Amino acid sequence: KNEISPFGVDFEILVSLVYIKALLCSVAADIISTVEFNSTGELLATGDKGGRVVVFQREQESKNQPHRRGEYNVYSTFQSHEPEFDYLKSLEIEEKINKIRWLPQQNAAYFLLSTNDKTVKLWKISERDKRPEGYNLKDEDGRIRDPTTITTLRVPVLQPMDLMVEATPRRVFSNAHTYHINSISVNSDYETFMSTDDLRINLWNLEITNRSFNIVDIKPANMEELTEVITAAEFHPHQCNTFVYSSSKGSIRLCDMRASALCDNHSKFFEEPEDPSNRSFFSEIISSISDVKFSHSGRYLMTRDYLTVKVWDLNMESKPLETYQVHDYLRSKLCSLYENDCIFDKFECVWNGSDSVIMTGSYNNFFRMFDRNTKRDVTLEASRENSKPRAILKPRKVCVGGKRRKDEISVDSLDFSKKIIHTAWHPSENIIAVAATNNLYIFQDKVN
Amino acid sequence: MEYKVEAHRIMSISLGKIYNSRVQRGGIKLHKNLLVSLVLRSARQVYLSDYYSGACLNAQSEREGNEWDITDSEREKFPPSATECDRVESTEETQPNEQPEKEREYRENDDEVKSDQVDCTSTLQEQNQNSSLDSVAKVSSETPPESITEPKESPSDSAVAERDSTPEANGESHQPPKTHVCSNRKRSAEESESGDSPQKRTKVASSNAKEDEEAEEMDTSNVSNLITIFGSSFSGLLSKESAKPEAEAEDSGQICCDQMLKNLNPWSTAIVAF
Repeated sequence: KNEISPFGVDFEILVSLVYIKALLCSVAADIISTVEFNSTGELLATGDKGGRVVVFQREQESKNQPHRRGEYNVYSTFQSHEPEFDYLKSLEIEEKINKIRWLPQQNAAYFLLSTNDKTVKLWKISERDKRPEGYNLKDEDGRIRDPTTITTLRVPVLQPMDLMVEATPRRVFSNAHTYHINSISVNSDYETFMSTDDLRINLWNLEITNRSFNIVDIKPANMEELTEVITAAEFHPHQCNTFVYSSSKGSIRLCDMRASALCDNHSKFFEEPEDPSNRSFFSEIISSISDVKFSHSGRYLMTRDYLTVKVWDLNMESKPLETYQVHDYLRSKLCSLYENDCIFDKFECVWNGSDSVIMTGSYNNFFRMFDRNTKRDVTLEASRENSKPRAILKPRKVCVGGKRRKDEISVDSLDFSKKIIHTAWHPSENIIAVAATNNLYIFQDKVN
Repeated sequence: MEYKVEAHRIMSISLGKIYNSRVQRGGIKLHKNLLVSLVLRSARQVYLSDYYSGACLNAQSEREGNEWDITDSEREKFPPSATECDRVESTEETQPNEQPEKEREYRENDDEVKSDQVDCTSTLQEQNQNSSLDSVAKVSSETPPESITEPKESPSDSAVAERDSTPEANGESHQPPKTHVCSNRKRSAEESESGDSPQKRTKVASSNAKEDEEAEEMDTSNVSNLITIFGSSFSGLLSKESAKPEAEAEDSGQICCDQMLKNLNPWSTAIVAF
């Protein structure tokens, strides 16, 4: 499968045309804000700035239409969060979906957690292909029958109907966060999950919505002394007592919930000393970690800061195992990127199923992949102009100085409004989902 | 010198971002504003380190006294500020004609100027109370600037070069920012003493308004916008959830302002600017 490095493989475009068409008609507010495959890869969920969740389902392979293998089609669309107003603080609460996390499938229905800045919701997505018919007290249109006209009794039977996919909110986890939620993570025990804001991490039981436990609190007694915030957090994929959280200062703390109820003291502390030669006004901003992800194996951690991706070995806290430069040519442009706010973009990073390749986004709708084994890397572009269905993605190159080759692009020509923040990798296959503003691209490796 | 301009520009941009964060949907983003405040602090350290070094070379003259209205106790409280203000006074004398008109203009904008003072005050209080206080003392004794701008190797190098040339060569653009900086500190001293008296703040503001106007030659439009912005609802900043703990009390915005002024030291991050 994909044990061999996929860099011998070309990535073919597999665009979900239905989604693209729908978004062409939609308002600009629907910028995609999160992308996530479920644990089997059968479903792909996207959340957008308007509070909507769109779930895609992979086509089953069929002998009749082999060329349609693996296409994703819209399965369910629902409004997860609405804008709210906190009257006490005179604050509007955005409906933008910050994160979606799937629960493992335990029955015919699918469950996911979606969150905005303040509230986490558990949604159940289920199919209905039968409906009961033959009620006694109401007729087929639903009108109540006059009881005096009923002369016989019958048993309602289930009749087939057109498939309907419905999403229902099953739990609402609210009123636990003073600051903005940036992460949610489902525990491997499948009973609990955590939600993380700038200063606190709360642990919830999936069944209980009126209570949560605070497990990390870094709020200083005096807010004037605030120097760092939590930027992301994740449970270990196998050890249900272990989680990590990253900070705006570029450090990662690993905590063990067995040690104490409040995990303010970390078990491990991962930080790389700053390179003094790179010091600038913006050193603190670019060292802030925007995403942290455990490898599927649980042995490694990956972190993303503004210019690099780093892979850490859980057994070595002093420095990362590997550092990959995503777009180092931006280092000389930090002031402009500060002015136009791009320096605050929170890029995400993902592992492939075998933890051999890592992927992250950049500007100009570029995204980068790094093969950890061969140390090769590639830059690809997600754009409709350059992409046709079934076409092969061509590697791109940014020219950093000197003579620009024909198909290279110079740093000054990069479009910083086109950024790829959110990406996802299928848990076992070479299928990737890339969100470019309000367009979703799905790519898969070429079918041989 | 370019670094000074750059630092000032970055400071203006940072303040603009802090303002914009107040009006954007979804409330103040704590993370982004923390980062902006760190940049603001770094830029200010670079900017002011050069200011202190340049101010040393100016001859001191008598202070004018009346409009400042600084008591001896306050002078003790902020010893370095007093000496710097002495230096600044001398530079102010070169611009007496502009003062009356600008003073009149600014009386109309008393509230706004007051709030801007509060904001700048906070930055200066930190300057006083942090280790940069020591740096200032070192500058006075002609220690090389590396101690002040230690993390910023290149800006400090240029700062050294700048110190050797007299500030007069830089002319107006060099002096007004110092004036602005110093006048704010003066006002902060008074405000800390007086507590919750917006009227007094206003009065002080109007008499010192001229420095404000002169000070922002380099970036007048930016700062006057900021003044207006901060003035109209600065107290609102403090009542935001992600602001200081005083704000989390149910006090009025005005009392929050006062509490903040009293608790300005130490100002380790510009979260206090909220």
